[in-house]
Amino acid sequence: MALSESLRKQISDLVTTNRVVLFMKGTRQMPQCGFSAQVVQILDALVPSYETVDVIRSPEIRDGVKQFSEWPTIPQLYVDGKFIGGCDIVREMNASGELQKLIGVKTSDPKTPTITMSDAATKAFAAAAVAEAGGDFLRLQIDAQFQHELFFGPRAPRDIDVRVNGLTLLVDPSSAPRADGVSIDFVDGPGGGFKINNPSEPAKVKQLSAPELKPMLDRDEVTLFDVRPEDERAIARIAAARSLDEARQKYLLELDRDTPIALYCHHGIRSQEAGQQLFREGFRNVYNLKGGIDAWSQSIDPSVPRY
Amino acid sequence: MSSHPTDFQGSVVDALREAIERQIPDSRAAVNGGGGHFSIEVMSPAFAGKSMLESQRMVYGAIAHLMKGEMAPVHAVDSLKTRTPTGAA
Repeated sequence: MALSESLRKQISDLVTTNRVVLFMKGTRQMPQCGFSAQVVQILDALVPSYETVDVIRSPEIRDGVKQFSEWPTIPQLYVDGKFIGGCDIVREMNASGELQKLIGVKTSDPKTPTITMSDAATKAFAAAAVAEAGGDFLRLQIDAQFQHELFFGPRAPRDIDVRVNGLTLLVDPSSAPRADGVSIDFVDGPGGGFKINNPSEPAKVKQLSAPELKPMLDRDEVTLFDVRPEDERAIARIAAARSLDEARQKYLLELDRDTPIALYCHHGIRSQEAGQQLFREGFRNVYNLKGGIDAWSQSIDPSVPRY
Repeated sequence: MSSHPTDFQGSVVDALREAIERQIPDSRAAVNGGGGHFSIEVMSPAFAGKSMLESQRMVYGAIAHLMKGEMAPVHAVDSLKTRTPTGAA
């Protein structure tokens, strides 16, 4: 079906009256497709305002813009009336800095973050690099939610080289400001692995596996509370834990806000909620037992009944 | 992987590969996927000197017939990579 003259004009007007236009599925606030969401995220970081057209709400534009751009997929980005590309291309141009140039944002190169790495971590990485990297680089990525990822991958054009303990660690420019002050450690054994400590990370409930919690309890490094009601406590309980009845809740709220506190319930959902509540009360070291008492029965103490 | 309604008969992966290799000179295509979603990697000297946009357009042009309409066998190309035999284009 040929593109009608009126539809062609409508699309052409859209892309010429607005400097940056994104044809997408959903809205900027609520993208309805992963590819559209990725482009929104990139644009949000670059331009304060831009026009979006939700093609789900206008099927004729959805088909029309595909013909107009001679491009079969959504999203589609236009800058200054010119078709730029879909998700892949926008992502690539964002990584290379071309998109910033095109849109006219000044991006000063972020400053090189200071990262430290323990000897154990350095050794573990050196071993992993020989085993599996095949010429790739060790990369640290930290997204806006402070999810940390350490992996081997190829170099990207705007990467920042960080020298750590004789190793080169690559950090992409959006992760760099979040990476300053990060320390990386490696713990051997069960429940071990690479540990990343990031002082810029906003406080959140930290997840502990049962094998991670056990030694902390043994060393008395954390106070464990059971958030379940009495009837569940009657079925199964962890010996070292205190109940969180009214009296104890009062006691808890009078504790120093730096006190390390761990919480558990049956599967770790209710205790996660309770942990977030403690944050709102100002506590800064709150842990949640991942998988709850059920995980504890399975991996630490089989004498604790499962229910 | 979601099921995807299509009236297409046969292997979509093969159809994509054949369409690309037939229409882009000296190209080799690797296609993976199913359920309407595919990843495609194409190597051809024809991409030399072309921008990513132009290169991807050549590939989309070659497979346009498989992406047309509500019952199209190809619902989305999740990843499309183009390169020249000597390196990334």
